[in-house]
Amino acid sequence: MNRKLICSALALAFLGAAGTLYAQGKQQTITTVVKITGIAWFDRMEAGVKEFGTQNAGIKTEQTGPGQADAAQQLRVIEDLIAKKVDALAVVPIDPAALEPVFKKAMSRGIKVVTHEADNQKNTMVDVEAFENAAYGARINDRLAKCMGEAGKWTSFVGSLGMQSHVQWAEGGAANAAKKYPKMQLVDAKTESNNDATKAYEKAKELLRKHPDIKGFQGGSSVDVLGIGRALEEAGLQGKVCVFGTGLPSETAKYLESGAINGIAFWDPKDAGLAMNKIAKLLLDGKTVTDGMDLGIKGYDKVKVTKGPGGGIVVKGQAWVDADKSNYKQYPF
Amino acid sequence: MKEWFSDRHLVFLVAMNVVVVLLATAVSGGLFIDIDNLQSMGGQVSELGILAIAVMLAMISGNGGIDLSVVALANLAGVVAGLVVPHFFSPDDAPVAFTLGFVGLSLLVGAAGGLINGLLIARGRMTPILATLGTQLLFTGLAVGLTNGSAVRIGYVEALSAIGNETLFNVPIPFLIFIAIVALVGFVLKRSPFGIRLFLMGTNPKAARYAGIPENRMLVFTYTFCGILAAIAGIIIASRTSSAKWDFGSSYLMIAILTVVMAGVKPEGGYGRALCLFFSATTLQVMSSAFNLVGISSFFRDMAWGALLLLSLASSRFDLRAFWPLIRSPG
Repeated sequence: MNRKLICSALALAFLGAAGTLYAQGKQQTITTVVKITGIAWFDRMEAGVKEFGTQNAGIKTEQTGPGQADAAQQLRVIEDLIAKKVDALAVVPIDPAALEPVFKKAMSRGIKVVTHEADNQKNTMVDVEAFENAAYGARINDRLAKCMGEAGKWTSFVGSLGMQSHVQWAEGGAANAAKKYPKMQLVDAKTESNNDATKAYEKAKELLRKHPDIKGFQGGSSVDVLGIGRALEEAGLQGKVCVFGTGLPSETAKYLESGAINGIAFWDPKDAGLAMNKIAKLLLDGKTVTDGMDLGIKGYDKVKVTKGPGGGIVVKGQAWVDADKSNYKQYPF
Repeated sequence: MKEWFSDRHLVFLVAMNVVVVLLATAVSGGLFIDIDNLQSMGGQVSELGILAIAVMLAMISGNGGIDLSVVALANLAGVVAGLVVPHFFSPDDAPVAFTLGFVGLSLLVGAAGGLINGLLIARGRMTPILATLGTQLLFTGLAVGLTNGSAVRIGYVEALSAIGNETLFNVPIPFLIFIAIVALVGFVLKRSPFGIRLFLMGTNPKAARYAGIPENRMLVFTYTFCGILAAIAGIIIASRTSSAKWDFGSSYLMIAILTVVMAGVKPEGGYGRALCLFFSATTLQVMSSAFNLVGISSFFRDMAWGALLLLSLASSRFDLRAFWPLIRSPG
């Protein structure tokens, strides 16, 4: 009798312990680290991150990031998260090169690593891209060329020269123009705005002084078109100079209405956030992404998978959106 | 009196460390004092702490002394070494020679940059804030020009990577470097004739001149040493990121100045304590890591740092203990 009691008590305790272990193993954390917190683009991404968390009961999702767009600060945030022992990291790197060792460390500790906008990242398991960067840059450039009548001086902006994707868009645009539009002349390409609308405004004003006959601007960072638009409005040039570039509908609404910005292009950061978290979950479940796979997210329904520069893979969707004055209101972010 | 004052500040800083660590440990359920987190914090605090020591030394030297070029110089040192050294030593075949070359060249670049600062300030009679603002732009410009703005990838070199990422008896190597520099600077400031002269120069330059202190030589030496410290930080950064880039740590300068001011260093010169700087740097680090661990926004962190600075200034200006009886026996 006594022995039976002890046995059942032991068994119960064992079950309890196993139950706790199971519960701990079940609730997994995916942390998304963005370039900078508090800007509309990454607020929209956070909506996707949260949505994924509510859709998947076994997964806890959260988003964080540095207060300044400084690679050093982002590195610190990721180091702290590794110490926190999260299960998966979904990162939008400011400078992929600077994060190589920390990603290596994360993976060596069994943390799954997914990146976005960093197809040159070696130490990552999966890098997700909304689309082919060069094709996206060319597409914006085609719209710009049409607006400019395929002739005249134009220039391109990037957030910073270290931002791989911005540089690829600018170069994709330049290559497109060089191939298709011989009358278009690229001047002062890849001006850096430091991802700052005020800086973009100052740089645009400088360029307008330097090239009074400039006909087009291709923005890189999502705030570049805002600064350019403001500079054009002040100079009374809206409608006379064409502006196309990456931008958020909510932020650019005013300038789209006034004509200072002719059109914007973007991918929905919410879908990108969803895609990163979805892939992180696949990795946590011991699966991976295959060519042609449907992630169940708009624009990522037939993804292209290629080998990455390191041991990982690069997943590319077709998730771009063209918007202008006529249709930007359909995108509430 | 002075000794007593400084100790009070040290007590405040140590108390802040203890409070933050205890709070963070309680909130995170012990995760905060986990060895992984302690190592991660130790690795992080070093580069910023070393940059802060450089700013502190410049500040102590007086005459509005400050070195705004430290972060730019740290990055320039890493960029130059990252570009030049692979031409002489192969990182794969001769990793140790590569690492020694990298360290040596970085230190050389740092010393040269610091020397320029020192000569501009001592011989050129330029205000330190303007001279180092100028060289900050110069160093940044050089680093951008050399690299076209992109990162210099150094790749994985075991010996170099060890400097920033490995541990010795469970203590991160960069943290050991930081402690060694704190100890060295603390000793030099307090016990060596150089330190005593530097304090006098910062407190009363006229008296220092009449006392026959070679002002120019002292200034040149101090700023050159600042440059070397910047280069050491640059080496740690390059090792921790296996790359070098002109804009890494663009937020560091303000944090370094914050660390220095919070450490009780007098902005007008003549006083500063290495031990206080150490605890000032660790306070900021444990706060920052605690917030990341608990998941609090980095904007809140900046606010908390600001509040801490004000509290720290208050603690050095007023004796907070004077308020104690008021709190204990209200009414």
